[in-house]
Amino acid sequence: MKLMADKLVNQLSVVRHWLGKLLRSLKLPQPQKLKVSFVLSFCKRLFYYFRIWILMSKNSFMTVLSRKKILFLFLLGKILRFSFFTAFIYFLVLGAKGLSGYTKEQVVFFFLTFSLIDILSQFLFREVYRFRSLVVTGDLDLVLTKPVSTLFRVLMGGADVIDFITIPPLLFAVCYVGNLFQPSYLQIFLYILLFFDGFLVALAFHIAVLALGILTLEIDHSIMIYRDLVALGKLPIDIYREPLRGILTFIFPVAIMVSLPAKALMGLVSLQGVFLSLTSAVLTFFVSLRFWNFALKKYTSASS
Amino acid sequence: MKKYLSIFNISFQQEFAYRINFIMWRVRNVLQIFLVFFLWDAVFKDPGRVVFGYNREGILTYVLGLIIVKSFVFSSKSMDVAGEISRGELSNYLVKPVSYFKYWITRDLSSKSLNLSFAFFETLFLFLILKPSFFIQTDPILLIFFLLSLILAFSLFSLLLFIVSAITFWMPEAGWGAHFLISIISVEFMSGALFPLDILPHFLQRIVNYTPFPYMVFFPMQVYLGKILDSAAVKGILISGLWILVLYFIMTLVWRKGLKVYEAYGR
Repeated sequence: MKLMADKLVNQLSVVRHWLGKLLRSLKLPQPQKLKVSFVLSFCKRLFYYFRIWILMSKNSFMTVLSRKKILFLFLLGKILRFSFFTAFIYFLVLGAKGLSGYTKEQVVFFFLTFSLIDILSQFLFREVYRFRSLVVTGDLDLVLTKPVSTLFRVLMGGADVIDFITIPPLLFAVCYVGNLFQPSYLQIFLYILLFFDGFLVALAFHIAVLALGILTLEIDHSIMIYRDLVALGKLPIDIYREPLRGILTFIFPVAIMVSLPAKALMGLVSLQGVFLSLTSAVLTFFVSLRFWNFALKKYTSASS
Repeated sequence: MKKYLSIFNISFQQEFAYRINFIMWRVRNVLQIFLVFFLWDAVFKDPGRVVFGYNREGILTYVLGLIIVKSFVFSSKSMDVAGEISRGELSNYLVKPVSYFKYWITRDLSSKSLNLSFAFFETLFLFLILKPSFFIQTDPILLIFFLLSLILAFSLFSLLLFIVSAITFWMPEAGWGAHFLISIISVEFMSGALFPLDILPHFLQRIVNYTPFPYMVFFPMQVYLGKILDSAAVKGILISGLWILVLYFIMTLVWRKGLKVYEAYGR
């Protein structure tokens, strides 16, 4: 019993160490002792960031909403792209009578899950697409001097209203098609858990792209290559041959990000798979944070 | 002619000025092919299977052929025309002794020649790593029709880009949005650049066939695969030609009207 307690204390200290690193990067108070005052100040800090995010998002929304014709064109384009691809998958799997053992509803559900994670990350992390000009002009200096985490500002500084509009209908489609599989409560729980796990991987990828942006001054193609890689998760990862399947599972964990949540809802994931997925997502996240910290130290403030 | 040759050379050298950009763009093209390739590879796991009128060899040739056809038809610089109109930079060209359309067509040709040469190496690379069954067309008549259909496809896409860019005369901020909707999304799905259009139900195929989009990728690929023969190929080429005339008429009309409202904002 004592041995188990010691083990638990050891594990908790490791968690506290990593949590401390995460909080330091967000400029949040460190957990010296897990006291009520710490929890309160943590919540206060989170609320502070939430208020900043609301403010920045409001500004970003107002900029786009003031140009209604452009909003309409992009919204229509996104809806058309989504509808065309759904129709393509539907007719393809219908004609081919299945895809790698999956039914047409299952393949469509894979695509819907991909779309939801993709749209959600685009909605929240749209500012990444504008990061290059900050680095090239040296305007990142102005962000660095502010009493807010730089990573938070360059990652979440401009939520996209066009993606925001498309989230509710997409969420409805996910619920509708997901319900066709009559999932149990455990499957729904695992789906939600792995969905957020996948979202953590998406966050890690965006942080890595930002870090690459500082080191190479190149964002546009890096982010598009990320999107092309993630797009491979539009379909079940089982269709790919080795070594591509291995790469998409272990090196660029697109499988964890997109395929696994969908499989969880269909009851096709073991608990070991869930555990592995959670571990690798957390690992990917921390590696990306370290990469960001490394890159930030290389920022030269050129042309400012 | 000499000045356009100079434009071709300068434009070609410009592509090399941003080498990483260009290489990343080509990497993206290869990555996009992976999704389509493995999708069809999964559908045609059984080598003897025939789906939507295609066998394994036919469909994989279609997918790999997309790299070549897309790099020739869709590699283009003319999308920047919209930006030049909205920033008032069009005025610089209006006072110069060059035809604005010929200038951009020359730049497009330069971009296409570079992209096409890379596309050949990429196809070879994919061919070596994926080892797909590949159909090589040997009928000289069909090969001539294929080349002709590619030239027509290039003309169709160029005209479409100029028409879409002209929207900026009336809505200066809508240039990129219009290109996103028409030149990227609509073209990608309705031209056959993502999947062969004959997997769609007949009523949808009929609707799409009333547009110029299928003549940009789907028709040339069908000619190459020998699925469209003799009189049907000639008919398709004539329809492409007709679409070119229609789009050319629309483009001249739109640009004439557009230049009248052009106010060179930002200059």
